[in-house]
Amino acid sequence: CTGYQKLLKSTNVNEKYEAAIKYYDKGDFFRAGTLLEEMIPLLKGRPEAEKAQFYFANTNFMQRNYVLSAYYFKQFTDTYPNSSYTEQANFLRAKSLFRDSPGYQLDQTNTVSALEVIQDYLNTYPTSEFRTEAESMSQELQKKLENKAFQSAKLYYSLRYNQAAVTALGNFNQQYPASVFSEQADFLRLAAQYAWAKESIESKQRERFVDAVAIYQHFIDTYPQSKSLRAAQTMFDDSRAEIERLKSLPADPTAAN
Amino acid sequence: HAQQVAATVDEPRKYTLGGITVSGARSLDPNTLIGLSGLRIGDPINIPGEEIGKAIRRIWTQGLVADVSVSIARTEGDKIFLDFNLRERPRLSKFTFTGISKGQGEDLEKKIKLIRGKVVTDALLSNTRTQVRKFYTNKGFLDTKVVIRQVADSALSNSVALKIDVDKGSKVRIHDIAFEGNKAFKDSKLKKQFKKTKERKPYKFLTPGKYQASEFEEDKKKLVDFYNNEGYRDASIVSDTLIRDSKGLALRIKVDAGPKYYFRNITWTGNYLYDSKTLSSVLGIKSGTPYSKETLDKRLSYNPTGQDVTSLYMNDGYLFFQIDPVETKVQGDSIDIEMRVSEGVQARVKEINITGNTKTSDHVLRRTLRTLPGDKFNRELLIRSQREIATLGYFDPEKIGINPVPNQNDGTVDINYTVVEKPSDQITLSGGWGGYAGFIGTVGLVFNNFSLRKAGDWHNWTPVPGGDGQRLALNVQANGLQYQAYSLSFTEPWLGGRKPNSLSVSLNRSISRIAYGGVFDASSGQFIKVNTVTVGLGRQLRVPDDYFTLSNSLSFSQYQTQNYPLLASAAATGTFNNFTINTTLARNSIDNPTYTRRGSSLSLSVSATPPYSAFPGAHPNETQWIELHKWMFDASFFTPIVGKLVLNTRAHFGFIGSYGGRNVGPFERFKMGGAGLGYGGGGSFLVGTEYIGLRGYDDPNAAYAIPTAQQNQSGGLAYNKYVMELRYPVSLNPAATVYVLSFAEAGNSVNSYQEYNPYKLYRSAGFGARIFMSAFGLLGFDYGRAFDSVVPAPGTSNKQDFNHFHFIIGQQIR
Repeated sequence: CTGYQKLLKSTNVNEKYEAAIKYYDKGDFFRAGTLLEEMIPLLKGRPEAEKAQFYFANTNFMQRNYVLSAYYFKQFTDTYPNSSYTEQANFLRAKSLFRDSPGYQLDQTNTVSALEVIQDYLNTYPTSEFRTEAESMSQELQKKLENKAFQSAKLYYSLRYNQAAVTALGNFNQQYPASVFSEQADFLRLAAQYAWAKESIESKQRERFVDAVAIYQHFIDTYPQSKSLRAAQTMFDDSRAEIERLKSLPADPTAAN
Repeated sequence: HAQQVAATVDEPRKYTLGGITVSGARSLDPNTLIGLSGLRIGDPINIPGEEIGKAIRRIWTQGLVADVSVSIARTEGDKIFLDFNLRERPRLSKFTFTGISKGQGEDLEKKIKLIRGKVVTDALLSNTRTQVRKFYTNKGFLDTKVVIRQVADSALSNSVALKIDVDKGSKVRIHDIAFEGNKAFKDSKLKKQFKKTKERKPYKFLTPGKYQASEFEEDKKKLVDFYNNEGYRDASIVSDTLIRDSKGLALRIKVDAGPKYYFRNITWTGNYLYDSKTLSSVLGIKSGTPYSKETLDKRLSYNPTGQDVTSLYMNDGYLFFQIDPVETKVQGDSIDIEMRVSEGVQARVKEINITGNTKTSDHVLRRTLRTLPGDKFNRELLIRSQREIATLGYFDPEKIGINPVPNQNDGTVDINYTVVEKPSDQITLSGGWGGYAGFIGTVGLVFNNFSLRKAGDWHNWTPVPGGDGQRLALNVQANGLQYQAYSLSFTEPWLGGRKPNSLSVSLNRSISRIAYGGVFDASSGQFIKVNTVTVGLGRQLRVPDDYFTLSNSLSFSQYQTQNYPLLASAAATGTFNNFTINTTLARNSIDNPTYTRRGSSLSLSVSATPPYSAFPGAHPNETQWIELHKWMFDASFFTPIVGKLVLNTRAHFGFIGSYGGRNVGPFERFKMGGAGLGYGGGGSFLVGTEYIGLRGYDDPNAAYAIPTAQQNQSGGLAYNKYVMELRYPVSLNPAATVYVLSFAEAGNSVNSYQEYNPYKLYRSAGFGARIFMSAFGLLGFDYGRAFDSVVPAPGTSNKQDFNHFHFIIGQQIR
């Protein structure tokens, strides 16, 4: 410990650098990082600077300071585009941003920028050894955004804002047509449309039940194996019966179709 | 040599880079420089071509060299060898100012961003010179001269020290502004339009009379705007002259106002939804009004003081509404305008996007928003949504962004909300003298944005799991053996997540022992212990409007006493139970909880115990099962007067009664006076006393507290209080909202209904200040002056003090 304190005060750049690398190799990233941070301006223009900058960025990564590590890795790749560390630094920058992406309930600005960086990485290094990992990171983030969109739309269903749920779930299916949540979204959209028709005033009901039937038909065509078929059928049966009942009523002249 | 010839005739040739040498480097490492150049041995390279230019730029951006040139060292077949010739720049070792005071030197050092150790470039020198000059021109020294000399530093190789010599010259101020060609308005009227460029006069302490070119340009625009607004739409500034004379600066401005124009006929085309008469009356511009583009724009698209044509359409969802005022005829000084209206389709909301919530979960925000996908766009609902976000208390209310983005192609609109989180947790650590109990220490924690769901995972304890909008409050108050109080409460505002039905649970325990000389005899000492459990359910109503909430709660309290005097009566030993059902109907439409500008808050609360005495059979003891009913009414209105000045008027009433004309038992009373904090404890502060502030008068239990609140009295069965308060904000910064206030209030509390007289009141007036810091809640002080004299408890010798200072802790309702 006393050796480290002495190093901190030392003005001998070479000695400090050697010690920092030693700490780094031992896995003491806190001490390595503190020493490297002090030295980087002094090493500017010297051959050791390249390694020092990469190591410094990585000490931040290892200490879970992902905002900083992403920044320093970027700085590294900008300064040394041809270094042997460059590919790794690009990857670790993407990984830093990936790790820094917040839970789906929160603001996803960081997730979107992480996705962009990962995509850039995959485009620049199509044969990279980290390719699989980068792809899986990208997929995980994509799925997070999908989940956020789905949960936001689903919230309207939970709140019984049925008309809003129909719109929001429809938007979701348009935006993420191949999502893992598509089936659930389609079913909830049917349920919301059905509930909305049920609670509507009589003059609007027919039109809305007809829409429910259309959504039902789309649902069974797309997901013939769905677990929710039975529930969907019940809604269909009732909608059909309601349309039958409403036939006897004079059609609403203001109805859209 | 053929290759070199080829290179010189500007015909690019492909080579392979065979090697790079660096010449002229002194302290820089050649290999690093080659690395920085971005060139690699073995790469293909075009001569001439962009690769070398790029490499030079890359080295340049490092700012390490003064000059770099590339030459071809030699070629071998298609291999080319380059040489980078450098001239290194010196680095800055230190800098000093001469010709100015030390204090200004320090100010300058902060302003000009000179970093020791940086490479001294021409840009750095000229930047420094400009910044120093700017620093002084902004202070009015227009003739500042700056000379920077570089002196080699003997201590460090390749380093220089900068000597910055400043000659400020003398301060130059504007002493006179005069106008030419202004027939319609006097010089003084025009001078007023200049916001930043002003004359320096001996009696004007706050106008420095500085001349700043960019501000003067702004001011000239303002002058033209002023003319335009008065109907002179051709007005222009012909010339402006800055005259330097012995007294300083004089400004001469020549204006050409041109003729004054008037509105004549305004006609409407393309309007189907509203007829021309309605639109004209909303526009409110009559024939003969002086022509003003600004007034016209204001009435068309944004009118801060009333309705405008655009909002008439937009509030109804016509988001693609467009209006184009066209001047159809200019005849003499009269202008005819045709309003070409395109109403467009009624936009429906497509997506609601939320950004900026780095702590609070989406659903907490989304469920409060009034704009729903599929609904027609309505501007009023945006404003309502903004209020709902502000009311949550998790976001900076001054920074809520709402941005509707219309999609022209499908007639829909996305609404993007942006929020900025602010800290919403509070911590209280306090110590104070609590009357007879002596020193009382308090530790309180309030987490207003807690998440019980996330509490299971320790990763979320940073420091506490949050974001789900739940409230958790913990409070411990103690002074050792004599007095201890613990409370824990939890609120879920959306029970089940479907409707804003809140569930709250709270637990309280307090113990008070009367110990003599620090010794307490467990078998005969006086004590009271109170345990309370409350469970409440609240819900938002839709009728009469959705500002209403109805909440119900069940509360059970158990009082255990031993030789303890209740209501200054004889000592009692026993166990008393209080089972209460409470119903509260409230309406709250205030716009912002920290500094309220408009809205109102009304609340009627009824608490009642079951009427045991009405049940058949003997009621064992009216104090063992406490029997009473209690009515509370609070009303508070906020009205903006001028600008940020707000008037708050309040009225409060409370009544406690019993069933069937019996006496009300010894629990629950009102005590009024002081800051309403219930300090100075006394025997009764554990038995359900409501403390109500009355500034200007003594705190309850003091000798000159108003009758019923004095130490030897039990408190009132009824009270009423009226308050008028003027508030003005000093700072609306969310870190610390500060406002000052002045008040006049009056109130009284009586212990029998026969004495109740709503007009017999103790009156006072005064002023004070409040500061709201999100970590500590509301703090403040008030000075109050009492107007009515109080009859003290018998045997009180000293005199009533009509002036009082009160410290206010926490938001007070009453």
